[in-house]
Amino acid sequence: MNSALNIGQSHDGGVCIVTLSGRIDSTNANDLMSQLTKLILAGEKSIVVDLGAVLYLTSAAFRALLVATDEAERNAAKFVLCSLGGHVRELFEMGGLLEVFTVHPSRAEAVARLG
Amino acid sequence: MARPIDLIYSVDEVPPPAILIISALQHVAVMAITLIFPLILAREANLSENQVLDLVSLSMLGLGFATVCFSIRSHFVGSGYLSPAAYTAIYLGPSLFALRRGGLDLVFGMTITAGIIQLGVAPLLKRLRALLPPEIAGLVIAIVGLALASLGVRYSLGIDNGHAVKPKYIVVAGASLATMCILNIWTKGYGKMFCVLIGIVAGYAVSFGIGILDLSAIVPDSGVALFRLPRLDHVGLSFDVNLLAPFIVASLAATLRVMGDISNAQRLNDSEWVRPSFTSLAGGVSANGVAMIFCGLVGSFGINSYSSSIGLSGATGVTSRSVGYAIGMAFAILALVPPAAACFAAMPLPVMGAALFFTAAFVLTSGLQMITARMLDARKNLVIGFSFAMAVVADIYHDAFTAVPSVLQPIFGNGLVLGTTCAVLLNLITRIGVRQRASIKLAPGGINREAVEQFLSEQGARWAARRDVINRATFGVVQLLEVLGDPPDGIEVEASFDEFNLNVRVKYLGAPLDIPERKPTPREIVASEDGERLLAGYLLRRSADRITSRQSGDAAEVVLHYDH
Repeated sequence: MNSALNIGQSHDGGVCIVTLSGRIDSTNANDLMSQLTKLILAGEKSIVVDLGAVLYLTSAAFRALLVATDEAERNAAKFVLCSLGGHVRELFEMGGLLEVFTVHPSRAEAVARLG
Repeated sequence: MARPIDLIYSVDEVPPPAILIISALQHVAVMAITLIFPLILAREANLSENQVLDLVSLSMLGLGFATVCFSIRSHFVGSGYLSPAAYTAIYLGPSLFALRRGGLDLVFGMTITAGIIQLGVAPLLKRLRALLPPEIAGLVIAIVGLALASLGVRYSLGIDNGHAVKPKYIVVAGASLATMCILNIWTKGYGKMFCVLIGIVAGYAVSFGIGILDLSAIVPDSGVALFRLPRLDHVGLSFDVNLLAPFIVASLAATLRVMGDISNAQRLNDSEWVRPSFTSLAGGVSANGVAMIFCGLVGSFGINSYSSSIGLSGATGVTSRSVGYAIGMAFAILALVPPAAACFAAMPLPVMGAALFFTAAFVLTSGLQMITARMLDARKNLVIGFSFAMAVVADIYHDAFTAVPSVLQPIFGNGLVLGTTCAVLLNLITRIGVRQRASIKLAPGGINREAVEQFLSEQGARWAARRDVINRATFGVVQLLEVLGDPPDGIEVEASFDEFNLNVRVKYLGAPLDIPERKPTPREIVASEDGERLLAGYLLRRSADRITSRQSGDAAEVVLHYDH
């Protein structure tokens, strides 16, 4: 099982799409946080984080996403999540964090909303 | 129990009378296909035309009685789920063998004996559950689906011993199957619910149009009365100890099929289904035993639950138990109407083929879903792969197996029986050396997530555990390791499993873990790493079904429990 975190980045119109795959935990949550913060500070105004290929994420990952959400708010950027799969969605529900983030069922829908 | 989104009427709901009646008639039409087995027996026994009609009528009575027995909800008999009955090819080999040795009397006597065997096995099912895990039940269902599809193709193409395809049959089967598929996929409501019945009627109409519906072949020269009590002239009973072995094997195969079918019926009513209810399975097997005794007494054939009908209720979304009672009543009435017996007995083969092929698709995919919900290691892959292959081989090389001793014919002469027997035996053999408790020691100097993931993944596959439970456990242990940090003497992770529980014990040197009850706010989580630790503890508590923490001397341990 190759579960290291991979971070991909692409653009669809004016929307920046960050694609994550693998597991997100304390070993790589800071990398994710700094990457997202860098994008926001670079002036990206619409960011979609696609979690469709994430195996699981621990509390460190939730913190990284919350910090990025705060940073986006401070810089008047839109920051949304999409494609939460079965187990990952369960973890968001368990932590009561589903309502804290803006979540879309699919990448296409997220891009359409932000585009 | 969570209601699946495709379900229209669940097991406890009663549809309006019109839907109840038409649903029952649809099942009646599909079940009537299996009257071919008593008909084969009647033909081999050289019964007169009137006796053939009597045997068909009594067999219809048997189908109705058995369906009520299977579907009823009581302490001893009945599964509580809509589970229609069918005459089965499992008993064809043993019954024809009995016919040659001792005539119809022996067939009926041995049918009763097989029923008594099933009544004896039913209370033992729970104790035998380790030998019959859900992935094996799924395999049995998949093999049944394959067998139904194979039979469906044979009837649809009109393939006989010369392997010549009959073009008219293809036209009838094609029209009937296309009707069923179009209604099932592209319509809702009545069209979807009654797709098979409408497809069968369309098949009869096309058969009539192109001249292959021949009612005269089954009707006696003297004609048939509109109402008539079927006579028991052909019925007698005898017993032969030499036939015990084939009928024991056949009854065990039938028992496994009941278990597979009832499991499937339970799954159709619960989107969160993970394992069968053994009380319901035992009731289903007892019902099969009672129905077998009834069929023997009225001079009919070996009966079983019907995977096609379970597939039909899955395809239409009508799984109400009341439909089972309506089926029973419908067959009881039809048994008194000889023209109905003649009509069913004359059902064109390609129409039967289309209905069998259509329902087989739902049976096969149900079985595959039950298998793939489990993690499978090399042992389980071999058990399932070999057994599935043997079931196929038995049908492909049917002639080659005719040389095996007659006592083994019921096993080698039937793909379902051979596949099931292989699966049970191989499962028993490969259980040797599988420990239900295993552990891994993680050295200090950092969190070794890969080792934990690999350990739990391999153990999960060895135990054929549910994939979703192992995923939750993997998250739980990794999250726990993050909270514990890097204890001085490393960490030991011990996992133990039975079909109902997965426990993961994490042992380390240090203070006991404090597991918070309170959910931290997003602000607390962002503000500091303490907030993140609060979230970690909260996620641990929520993700496991039970979590306990204790200390003994310098050592501490956390036990994560998951219901399985």
